[in-house]
Amino acid sequence: MSLLTKTHVGPGTPGSGTFRRAPGFRAAAVAAALPLLLAACGGTDDGATGGTAEDGTWAPTQAIEITAPAATGGGWDTLARTSARLLEEEGLVDHSPQVVNKPGAGGAIGWGYIANNPGDPHKLFVTSPPILLVPMAGDSDYDHDNFTPIARLATDYMVYLVAADSDIETFADLAEQVESGALSVGGGSGPGSMDHVALAGALRAAGADATQANYIPFDGGGEALTSLLGGHVDAAVVGVGEALGMLESGDLRAVGVSSAERVDVVAEVPTLVEQDIDFTFDIWRGVMGPTDLTEPQIAYHETLFADLMETEAWKEESARLGWTDAYQDSEEFGAFLDDTRGEFAEILTEVGLQ
Amino acid sequence: MGMLDQLMYGFSIALTPENLLYVFIGVLAGTVIGILPGLGPMSAIALMIPIAYGMDPTSAIIMLAGVYYGAIFGGSTSSILLNAPGVAGTVATSFDGYPMALKGQAGKALAIAAISSFVGGTIGVVGLMAIAPSLASFAVSFGPTEYFALMVLGLTAVVSLGGRNLTKGLISAVVGVIIALVGIDSQTAITRFTFDRPELYEGVEFLIVALGVFALAEVLVMLSRRGKGGVRKSVTSLRLSRGELARITPPALRSSVLGFFTGVLPGAGATVASFLAYSAEKRIARDGKTFGQGNMKGVAAPEAANNAAAVGSFVPLMTLGVPGSGTTAILLGALMVLGVQPGPTMLTDDPGMFWGVVASMYLGTVVLLVLNLPLIPVFAKVLNTPRTMLLPLVVVFCVVGVYGLSFSVFDLGLLAAFGVIGFLMRRNDFPAAPLILGLILGGLMETNMRRALQISGGEWSVFVTEPISAGLLALAALSLLPSLVRALRRRPSAGTPAEVPAPADGPEEQAPTPRG
Repeated sequence: MSLLTKTHVGPGTPGSGTFRRAPGFRAAAVAAALPLLLAACGGTDDGATGGTAEDGTWAPTQAIEITAPAATGGGWDTLARTSARLLEEEGLVDHSPQVVNKPGAGGAIGWGYIANNPGDPHKLFVTSPPILLVPMAGDSDYDHDNFTPIARLATDYMVYLVAADSDIETFADLAEQVESGALSVGGGSGPGSMDHVALAGALRAAGADATQANYIPFDGGGEALTSLLGGHVDAAVVGVGEALGMLESGDLRAVGVSSAERVDVVAEVPTLVEQDIDFTFDIWRGVMGPTDLTEPQIAYHETLFADLMETEAWKEESARLGWTDAYQDSEEFGAFLDDTRGEFAEILTEVGLQ
Repeated sequence: MGMLDQLMYGFSIALTPENLLYVFIGVLAGTVIGILPGLGPMSAIALMIPIAYGMDPTSAIIMLAGVYYGAIFGGSTSSILLNAPGVAGTVATSFDGYPMALKGQAGKALAIAAISSFVGGTIGVVGLMAIAPSLASFAVSFGPTEYFALMVLGLTAVVSLGGRNLTKGLISAVVGVIIALVGIDSQTAITRFTFDRPELYEGVEFLIVALGVFALAEVLVMLSRRGKGGVRKSVTSLRLSRGELARITPPALRSSVLGFFTGVLPGAGATVASFLAYSAEKRIARDGKTFGQGNMKGVAAPEAANNAAAVGSFVPLMTLGVPGSGTTAILLGALMVLGVQPGPTMLTDDPGMFWGVVASMYLGTVVLLVLNLPLIPVFAKVLNTPRTMLLPLVVVFCVVGVYGLSFSVFDLGLLAAFGVIGFLMRRNDFPAAPLILGLILGGLMETNMRRALQISGGEWSVFVTEPISAGLLALAALSLLPSLVRALRRRPSAGTPAEVPAPADGPEEQAPTPRG
């Protein structure tokens, strides 16, 4: 289901395979796709942050810098590099976007970097639930209110797993046994972070006492899964993508997925909602910028990412990575962030982590 | 068994001119990156992901795997020549490799490293090919309880790494464990020893400490001597006599097997493997006392182990779809971008990829040997560089390497601080190796102990009721016995004036300045 709401700058965006790996065509592609943007720039270049043209639109005057507040190779880095590469290959921008890695403190180092550049429309960063959870844990000087939401792009979901030969059949079974304290549940991130919140929230919605859950944090979903395979923990909660291989082989069995509707790659796994548990958890991914951006600047970036998501290349790429498109523009994304933070706060308070 | 058929099939894939080229590019890039201190296989693979994109997935993984084991192979060069570990897995190589270089045996040390790496890599590939599918169950049999016991066994090596003064060795190890505690605690999300510096929230990067206490400290020591003393002899030939080959063969073979199985465990890796192998050989060897002073077995053991472990870490990746180390985690990310989903079904669904990669590893290991042996005299010339040029260069490499890890100026400050700490330790006869050991194993030990206790509901008995854990702990106790007996026997007669602090107690809060 596409949530795209934006109209597009240029029809016939060159998204066909011809352009994808042919840098020689780039100039041509840029010229073809960006007449509107080039016109918008028209001669009103007035310095570092770029000027707003007379008709009220804005376009970048230099390369956009996309910060991944993490080291190379992780989820944020993948998103930053994928979007930067596709933006360039699809000819949606004049200057090749630069990816910058600012790892450290679960994202806080990178956020600090962006926050120190207020009003700079050429500095964006990729984001996901930790922008809410890390500040809530008190580990960042900045939270999502210190940034301008640009767009939510895609989402991934959590899956709740048990061993293939387990007697647990439904999430309700799992919740019951977890509440009795008999089960340990492994997850790929620390207490109070994504995996834990996804578990606690689902337990709460199932009517179980989430404080009784014996949540065991591992370094990454992979470690949690091997521990489940080896019988060291009794259940695990990890991202769908991480569990795909072991679900296909039948070594592990999923008792629920945190999406609103079934996910294509694991179509046989019922959602929690289907099991009458009113809980969904999105591992959403999006783009934000520093504070003090002007309306035209925000509008430019919103449209840019909306266009990106319309390209075949993006669709191909996000399917590979197991993402589901979930576009929201700046305003919707901002409201979504506020809502989600409220929900997270409730869950964390309930399990005694706030 | 149709294993040979399948291997031949693999070779038919790996031997296409295109894939041969990718093997070559991969191992060459890996070796070069491995030689540069700080730049490890993780950043190398991350850098090459954009290149790999758009390639045939099998070719891509052949190339990226080559980068990985190539970097481990090349990492020994700077460990031996400059005491500046090129990658984390080759820290242990510098314990004896650098003393050998100081004695004028740099050529020999490099040759031993290359040959042992070749042995380790080859045995690793044989293991990967022959028993990978059945090893999946071995890999998952290790849970938090078992990892805790394994780390305890590894930490007992402090006794053998400690050098002449056991007390100083233990102090050094405890400081290492304390450094491992810095950061957000993964079990409670509470910050420890971070002094409200966000840069410390994710802990202290291991390579910063290693480069500081080894490479920078060495530079400071040389500076303080103002060029006097420790004059390096010119580099002797790299030829190994038959007797020398015979001496390093058993340790290399044993360490390869040990390294491979350590690499298979998702919670350990090349670094842990190299330390385990080094300390095991030191205990077994009749001339174990000369380990740390340029014993060639001390180069052979960690080099064979880390290469075997690098190959071994492909077992959990290819059979479970689970990364066994930071590097394979990046590799997994790269594979998923390429549209490959490694996992239990990969061997049956995509045998071409599995066997193609296995065959390419055979080829890559041979290429590495052929590539590295002739280059040894060239590399060793580094030692003939005048001090006035070499020392600044080492500093530059360390700084670039550390900055390349995180792009953080704060980390450069840390590097300088650890350089000074390492210098003071050297000046006061505190061995640096136990500090590194405590840092690597201490953190893993603590996390796994607390995970195990959380799963068991606080029941300490799990460590002795689980058979693997009990066995490893018994082995650890056994390995401490000789030193204990020796210490007890010596004490009444020798009458050491300094009292021996209880070593087993938990690390107390103390400033990480190891002053006697």
